Amino acid sequence: MITQTTALLVDAYRELCAKKLFWITMLLSVLVVVVFAMVGINEKGMKFLVWQLPADFNGVTITSETMSPGLLYRTMFSNLAVPFWLSWVAVILGLVSTAGMIPDLIQGGTIEAVLSRPIGRVRLLLTKFAGGLLFMTLQVFVFSLLVFLVIGIRGKSWAPEVFLAVPIVVAMFSYLFAVCVLLGLITRSTIAALLLTLLVWMVVFIVNMGDGISVGIHEQLKADQRVEQARVERMERNAALLMLNEANEQRQADGLPELESLESTPSAADLDARDVRLPAARSRIAELDESIGLAGTWRRLIYLGKTVLPKTQETIGLLERWTVDRQALRSLAGMPEDEDRRADQEAAQATQDAIGNRPLWWILGTSFIFEALVLGLAALIFKRRDF
Amino acid sequence: MTDAVVSIRDIHKKYGRFGRSVHALRGVSMDVPRGSIFGLLGPNGAGKSTLVKILITAVKRSGGSGTLLGEPIGKKETLAKVGYLPEHHNLPKHLTGRQVIEFFGAMTNMPKAARRKRADELLDLVRMRDWHDKKVGGYSKGMRQRIGIAQALVADPDLVILDEPTDGVDPSGRRDIRLMLQKMRDEGRTVFINSHLLGELEQVCDAVAIMHKGQVVSMGSIEQLTEGMLRYEIQVDRPEPMSLVSSLVGEPGTLRTGETIEATDNRLLVGTTEAAAIQPVLDAIRSGGGMITEVRTHRPSLEDLFMRAVEEDDSPGAARGKTGGQS
Repeated sequence: MITQTTALLVDAYRELCAKKLFWITMLLSVLVVVVFAMVGINEKGMKFLVWQLPADFNGVTITSETMSPGLLYRTMFSNLAVPFWLSWVAVILGLVSTAGMIPDLIQGGTIEAVLSRPIGRVRLLLTKFAGGLLFMTLQVFVFSLLVFLVIGIRGKSWAPEVFLAVPIVVAMFSYLFAVCVLLGLITRSTIAALLLTLLVWMVVFIVNMGDGISVGIHEQLKADQRVEQARVERMERNAALLMLNEANEQRQADGLPELESLESTPSAADLDARDVRLPAARSRIAELDESIGLAGTWRRLIYLGKTVLPKTQETIGLLERWTVDRQALRSLAGMPEDEDRRADQEAAQATQDAIGNRPLWWILGTSFIFEALVLGLAALIFKRRDF
Repeated sequence: MTDAVVSIRDIHKKYGRFGRSVHALRGVSMDVPRGSIFGLLGPNGAGKSTLVKILITAVKRSGGSGTLLGEPIGKKETLAKVGYLPEHHNLPKHLTGRQVIEFFGAMTNMPKAARRKRADELLDLVRMRDWHDKKVGGYSKGMRQRIGIAQALVADPDLVILDEPTDGVDPSGRRDIRLMLQKMRDEGRTVFINSHLLGELEQVCDAVAIMHKGQVVSMGSIEQLTEGMLRYEIQVDRPEPMSLVSSLVGEPGTLRTGETIEATDNRLLVGTTEAAAIQPVLDAIRSGGGMITEVRTHRPSLEDLFMRAVEEDDSPGAARGKTGGQS
């Protein structure tokens, strides 16, 4: 059994090495890391080769005094290299390279020779699947190794946690590759399997976007409501103070001692009479309450829908969760004094936290269940098919 | 049951479902004796490849039963002792000839050292030693066929199933393959060949089965199948030789003594193996002024058998499942 599995994996490796795309992807990875290494940081701000970049970056001042080179490279790795290079370009190149694996296996003249050997069909399919993952494993490992060296040498901070990219990106790739295997088995066509897999990925991406938007709107509405609530409370306090002043003026005129506070809690009507903006503000809170309820319903529905799909975005997000100190980055940005801008920033952070802190079992567990179901279906088809 | 390497009974295979199904095999039964070269022949679409694929588990049978090397068909472990070369095989182009042989050896759970040693032997056997480290993608059809045969033999199998082994191979390559088949038999292996090249099969096969429309229409050794079909062929120096022997003919196509007789061009074919029975015919030819240029016994070729079996099967009211006494 081990001999067969090893032979199939070695064969998959040889097949990959024989593909030009494998080496092109590897070369591109090296180029990305070279560009990565060209970025530097000094007391004036960031540098790219000899060019000095402005210190102010999206409202955040980035200099060697506010951010260590190590943190800069880690942030670049988790915020740029992983989400853009490893989770998009490398995955697409990986799918292009491996999409033909199953259609090639099941073509006439190949599959019969393999099936005529004492190997179970399900094991054959799963080993081929593992062979496909080998592509991404090698690519991400080489990329992570180079990034590790850049962070260590240029950032003077050794960050072995970058190797977490290997299992995380491979896990994310495996969700899509499982779909590609199933579609390759059904259609027997490399092109069809690839295009349909990209279509599935697009659907997942759209649902992810919908999720981000629904969480963002929900959190923004909640932050707006908090601001509005604080504003109403402030207006009510001012109106109550006005009523107390009026009462004390009357008592002074009547020769009575001043009151420390109002004798009874003022009614909303009394307060509204003192500040004409209060009814509109209260109405706005009620409207926000209704909108929050609606946005919350959408948020829950999309979350439920996402539960049955592979969590590509959240899986990649695990790398940021485990490699970057989010609070340290937030402290760099500070908190704006303007109430509305602060609410916006709080909403953005709450959205980031809501998505970024989702439970690990939900992110990986449900994604692997999806993958297992897809692979199970593929195995069932493969087991029952005549070749 | 004799010592049969392949023994199948009433195998059926239907492809497709509902109204569009195709009945590819309609109750195939056969026994392949150990240590023989057994030819399976038939026209395209006869069901030969389907039958072979059922044996190697690439296709699941719809009905029937059978054993392969004494074990029920479908048992994966048995396949360790079976070598198989598919028709139009597609060997991994990214591997060298040696790597292909070793890969299929590993797929049969052979240890690394044994694979390496066996690959050396087989590269010599198939005369591919000089090309062992070149990628299969650069091989000619004949070279791929040689490596294909080598991979089939890598696990030292008891049964070798070859689907169209000489397809696309030049005459010298065919002769080499023929010699390899004989060597396999001499080593005690059973060789099961699926081919439509009748001349090739005739030269090496100990027994054949002729398939047509999903059924075995004839089966047995070539001697058994031609039994009763031997004839004397008398060649004379003129056309229409029947006129020379008309005095001996009773019913049309039959001599008065009962033997069949027919004429083609300048030949007379007399349905007998008895030399005495043709003496009156020879006398009649001479007395009629004809000159006899050749007299020989005539055994039908495999092609004759094949055509006869297929044509009989196609004729209205044809009986199915005739065999030549194969046990």
